Amino acid sequence: MRRTTVILLRNPLSMLGVVLVAAVVISAALADYIAPFPEHRGAVVDFVHFNQGPTARNVMGTDLVGRDLFSRILYAFRISLLLGVVVLAIATPIGTFVGLLAGYLGGRAEFALMRLTDVFLSIPPLVLAIAMMGVLEPTLLNAMLAVTAMWWPWYARLVYNITRSEREEGYVLAAEVIGASTLHVTFREILPNCLPAIITKMTLDMGFVIIIASSLSFLGLGVQPPTPDLGSMVAEGARYLPDSWWLTVFPGLAILVAVFGFNLIGDALREILGADQ
Amino acid sequence: MPAVLRLLARRLGISLIVLAGVSMLIFGIARVIPGDPARIALGPNATGEQVAGLRQALHLDDPVAVQYGHFVADLLRGDLGVSLYTNRPVTLDIAQFLPATLELVLFAGVLMVGIGLPLGMWSASQRGRWPDHLIRVVSLLGVSAPSFVWAVMLMLMFAFFLPVFPIAGRITDSFEITRVTGFLLIDTLLAGNGAAFVDALRHIFLPAFALAVSGIGQAARLTRANMVETYDRPYIEMARAYGFPAGRIAAKYAFKPSLIPSLTIIGLDFAAMLGNAFLVEAVFAWPGLSRYGVAVILRKDLNAIIGTVLIISATFLIVNLIVDLLIAFLNPRIRHSERGAR
Amino acid sequence: MSAVLEIRDLHLRFRGHSGVSEVLHGVSLDIRAGERVALVGESGSGKSVTARIVLGLLQELPYAEVSGGLFLEGADLNRLSRRQWQGLRGTSISMIFQDPTSSLNPVFTIGAQFAEVLRRRDPGLPRGAADERAGALLRSVSIHDHARVLDAYPFQLSGGMNQRVVIAMALANHPSLLIADEPGTALDVTVQAQTLKLMHDLVERSGTAVLFISHNLGVVREFADRVFVIYRGRIVERGPTAAIFEAPGHAYTRALMAAVPRITGGGPPEPNDGETAFLDPMVVHEGGGA
Repeated sequence: MRRTTVILLRNPLSMLGVVLVAAVVISAALADYIAPFPEHRGAVVDFVHFNQGPTARNVMGTDLVGRDLFSRILYAFRISLLLGVVVLAIATPIGTFVGLLAGYLGGRAEFALMRLTDVFLSIPPLVLAIAMMGVLEPTLLNAMLAVTAMWWPWYARLVYNITRSEREEGYVLAAEVIGASTLHVTFREILPNCLPAIITKMTLDMGFVIIIASSLSFLGLGVQPPTPDLGSMVAEGARYLPDSWWLTVFPGLAILVAVFGFNLIGDALREILGADQ
Repeated sequence: MPAVLRLLARRLGISLIVLAGVSMLIFGIARVIPGDPARIALGPNATGEQVAGLRQALHLDDPVAVQYGHFVADLLRGDLGVSLYTNRPVTLDIAQFLPATLELVLFAGVLMVGIGLPLGMWSASQRGRWPDHLIRVVSLLGVSAPSFVWAVMLMLMFAFFLPVFPIAGRITDSFEITRVTGFLLIDTLLAGNGAAFVDALRHIFLPAFALAVSGIGQAARLTRANMVETYDRPYIEMARAYGFPAGRIAAKYAFKPSLIPSLTIIGLDFAAMLGNAFLVEAVFAWPGLSRYGVAVILRKDLNAIIGTVLIISATFLIVNLIVDLLIAFLNPRIRHSERGAR
Repeated sequence: MSAVLEIRDLHLRFRGHSGVSEVLHGVSLDIRAGERVALVGESGSGKSVTARIVLGLLQELPYAEVSGGLFLEGADLNRLSRRQWQGLRGTSISMIFQDPTSSLNPVFTIGAQFAEVLRRRDPGLPRGAADERAGALLRSVSIHDHARVLDAYPFQLSGGMNQRVVIAMALANHPSLLIADEPGTALDVTVQAQTLKLMHDLVERSGTAVLFISHNLGVVREFADRVFVIYRGRIVERGPTAAIFEAPGHAYTRALMAAVPRITGGGPPEPNDGETAFLDPMVVHEGGGA
């Protein structure tokens, strides 16, 4: 752990990742104090300053009803991070459990569980979430639900693959020979060996969840106004291109910065923990 | 090659099982919808009698299993029901909108492979030098934003500020092209209309590129990673020890073995583009299935939603099947194995 | 008579995150025409890097620093451009690696790989002619169903078969120097012995000079005319094979021999590391012109 941290901070790129993620997390956490116009997170109207480009007062310009874009982006980070954390907190254990079970049990259970996983994996990721949001009401909770539903199979597949190869390893055999139970072998022997890969994938997935969630709200299927959300901000602004370019460019860059940060850290972790695939 | 045929049969069987699963899943999702589909279809002004009639026609009063049976029976006859949005059979709608999406996604796929693989190859052969670092950062940036962000940025830069490409649509309206394949790039050529072909190419380039950006990044990263691993293999050292030129080693002896493990993921990325097309078509007003999909989803048009998801999943499975065959073709171990295993 | 290969005072340093580490501390070695010279030591002693320096491969690594004299048939290798040096590989110098199966590319047929090797000497050699020449070469390593072998992929052939293929490839372009880095260690003992015998006969007949790298003194005794013992990047003893085996002069050589299993093969000997006597000066056995 200590070694990992040291290596992370030595490489300039992963250092940049740490800085970007820290900036995003801090601005989300302290939005109330950092944002010049905290009240602009809600349904506020300021027609004196509506639809203005970047100025000293509004460094990223204002939206169509005059709200400060910079303030709204800070609050939008909250939604993105919340979504990412909740989705992964639910999807990871479910997928890990399914993968472990399938990989260790083998036989029919393996076939059934992995075909079930295949079913979820053979609907292109975004399409499943879009279809679910199509029948559900577009709320933050439902968006989390839809994204979770498309996310757990990836962990199931990952853990399954590792479990299958670990099953052949000497230490598993040794545990079985001394009469350890299936349960013990699966959770105490194999699971710890999956953790580096899982942690790496979670870091990379923080970025991907943010991407998918913002895609849903971009299509009007996610968080609803007036809650600030990066995807819906871009969607709204896209109608006013090219004149009001700041409406799309800044929220778009905000997504890029956040996701890039997580990806830089995830990449570095993958290299350090050697958890490829 | 019987081994390949066996493999094909096996994968086809699994694909059919999966497709059946997908149909159950999407049917299930559509049936847990809160509210009465018949009421939604007929609108708030319909009488109770009309709603009851439609419920019967749609078998909505039967148990879910029976409903699914009716659904599958209809499906096998090629009947996906009528869209409440367009009032036409869903199959007709799909036939009309699918080619535009397929053309976009296929073109993006060509860009992904055509740009991503060489970038990854170059990066790996320059490992640790500045082109490698540059490509790694750029490809990571590529995968770090949703395609609608790339779409908006590219549009702003290359359609508005530098008006190199058109802003929206598939082709300038003044061109009259008879639809044969539904792929405008092919139909314009079939019509022998060079100007229309160039026009269609200019229209498709930006949306396809926006769609491909993250795929290019992913393909480059994957190719690099697998090639770097291959470079450490003894057979590459042997090739170097025998003085094979570095470029030839990169493009042939290291590339081919590393392509095989990359292909599966590239197939998945291609599939992801089918989903991301929803985003890009929205930005560029591309008249494809995805825009249709969003429209029917916003109207809770169940038949159309089910049909759209099914057809996209089927496309995805076909792509995966092709990828599997390609892998079998490239990998002599599979081609020559007696059991035709995965 | 000039040497086929002469290495003079070779140094190698690796620059890493934690500073510079010196791997070779002035290795000198020579091989005369038709001579089989063994470089013997445990893993990590610097024998494999020496081979890769002769090929010019290690010099291409950005973090490796190489200095010292390298002469192939009297020509100063250090004065060659990278391209000229590459031109020698596969033509004047060739190499056989430890594991024949993993040193052949898994996704190309033996025939395709053989043709590539032959084209190092004959650029533009058509595939048909290449197959014909490869067939003749395979016959010389006692492979008689060469048509099937040329069409096969490495994974379809046994390890011993692949080893014969690799030997045929290594001698295909009549190199003046063959470097064999632990050849066949990955194979089972009888197959290894057979293929070594085959290689021995072939180089003897063609008069090819061989740098034979091994940790296995049993094999070395059978194969080599002269032996250089390397320990931690230094040559600690050199001389004709018979002389060294009769009277090993250096403490490390004696330890190495004590660790040799009686039968050919077995694991690498690992004498107690760090014994001060191992750092004694080099022992030179006269005779054989060494």
